[in-house]
Amino acid sequence: MRTPSGHEVYAMGAEYPSPAALYEAAKMVRDAGFKRWDVFSPFPIHGMDEAMGLGKSWLSAVVLAGGISGLLTAVLVEFGPSWGLYPLIVHGKPYDWRTVPAFFPIMFEMTVLFSAFAAFFAVLIMNGLPRPHHPIFNWERFKRVTNDGFFLVIEARDPRFTELEARELLERSGGQHITVVHED
Amino acid sequence: MSDRLQNAAPEGEFFETDRFAGLSVLLGVVAFVALALCGAGAAIDPTQFSFSWLFAFGFFFTLCAGCFFWTIVHYATDADWTVVVRRQLENIAVLVAVLAIFFIPILLLRHHLYEWMNVAPGKEATLDSKRAYLNLNFFILRAAFFLGFFIIASQLLRRFSVRQDKDGNPQFTIRLRKVAFASLPLFALCLTFGAFDWLMSLNYRWFSTMFGVYIFAGAAGSSMALLVLVITALQRAGYLKNVVTREHYHIMGKWMFAFCVFWAYIGFGQYMLIWYANMPEETQYYLTRNTESWWSLSMLLVIGRFFGPFAILLLQSIKKHPRQLCYVAAWILLMQMLDIYLVVLPALHGTGVHVSLWDFAALIAIGATLAFAYLRIVGKTSLFPVRDPRLVESLKLVN
Repeated sequence: MRTPSGHEVYAMGAEYPSPAALYEAAKMVRDAGFKRWDVFSPFPIHGMDEAMGLGKSWLSAVVLAGGISGLLTAVLVEFGPSWGLYPLIVHGKPYDWRTVPAFFPIMFEMTVLFSAFAAFFAVLIMNGLPRPHHPIFNWERFKRVTNDGFFLVIEARDPRFTELEARELLERSGGQHITVVHED
Repeated sequence: MSDRLQNAAPEGEFFETDRFAGLSVLLGVVAFVALALCGAGAAIDPTQFSFSWLFAFGFFFTLCAGCFFWTIVHYATDADWTVVVRRQLENIAVLVAVLAIFFIPILLLRHHLYEWMNVAPGKEATLDSKRAYLNLNFFILRAAFFLGFFIIASQLLRRFSVRQDKDGNPQFTIRLRKVAFASLPLFALCLTFGAFDWLMSLNYRWFSTMFGVYIFAGAAGSSMALLVLVITALQRAGYLKNVVTREHYHIMGKWMFAFCVFWAYIGFGQYMLIWYANMPEETQYYLTRNTESWWSLSMLLVIGRFFGPFAILLLQSIKKHPRQLCYVAAWILLMQMLDIYLVVLPALHGTGVHVSLWDFAALIAIGATLAFAYLRIVGKTSLFPVRDPRLVESLKLVN
């Protein structure tokens, strides 16, 4: 979609006077069936996940997978040499499975390390980071989002997005300074 | 959220003691019979009985001490979610006064329990080097200090909190915070050295500096499990319906999970250091518990106290589901019982598990008496602190 002046449209945004107003607006946009939209505020708002209709994040599944692969890696690199490849008697301890107490710390550390890596990179990927610039910054008013501004933005790539419908919805939900944000 | 605020009774909710008079009488009778049976046990088989009694005492003492811990942590960290469940923590913590009476049999039967009291000075060099600490007078003095501290501090915590119910004066919160700050180091010292004195000195040749933390880890986790069960029982009886929500259960579940991990961390830390260094005076403790029929119970403890609950409590849905969380909580309490059993009884039956009638008699006697005492005090005050300045935040809890 383009504006009459030829700019590519990124989204339509509106500003709300309070977190409560933003919370109510999010419920309206959720019920209107939009999918590609987001809210922005200077601080987290309790219950916003539900108001936006967000499901459970799949981050925990990624972290679990990372943790399990870390644990398996540790098991492999510890038991492999000690039990099969190069058995070595240390401190008079057995080298079969009964030596497992000595291996637990490494298993634990590897599980934590791999989980942390999985969490870190999954968060980057899920949020599309790193990203030096974002079209939403073309909107002058949006700079207040880190100070005292509460914003709701519906993206133009949402299949249900039409300029009329989005504007009507944002007006009805009490949005102010409704603005079309350019892509570039 | 606002509905919940309006539904919370402004004068608080009161437990109707009359409604549960039958249960109270039943518990009283059970406690009386079991205590009489324990008296017989002390006469018939004093050695076995003294260990059974110490096991039951240790189990319930850790639960009361754990509830005390959660109360002082609440004030020290200025937490808000605990407010609605705090009165029950206070109610359980003051039961330590009843437990102090149950410490008397341990003192009377001390010669059956603590071998170091029977060895004459000059007989054993390892013991003589510890005489400055391990002597009867100091032992009794310390016990009086530990129990006295728990009784006085838990009474203060409950009394100020109840007085705040009347006028909502925030001054009480500030005063309680001071009590909590003073209690934190004293609690750590009393529980650590209490564990050393009453449990670790069963074998005076053995020592572990982590033992106190180990007992603490079990105490904190299992008392949180007990809290889940008590709150759910009250909700079943029709109380706290609009006060305690799924969000509170979620947090209690998270704490149970956290202390499962912490218990395993401390328990394994203690085990691995001893196993790795492999010095006879240290390994004897685990040698007894990892051989003969004790081995299967030790394995059950490792799996049942850590691996099982760990895997189950990872799931968010379980923590938010009171009924399912109760199954896990009951299991954790059972495992705490096993944990204390494995600390105390192998000191007597070094050659293998020997379950005795007196184990159950002592457990039921102390448990029923404490439950009876709990029912006596729970109706005296509101079931949650109605005028706590942080009550609204606790009611609105979201996590």
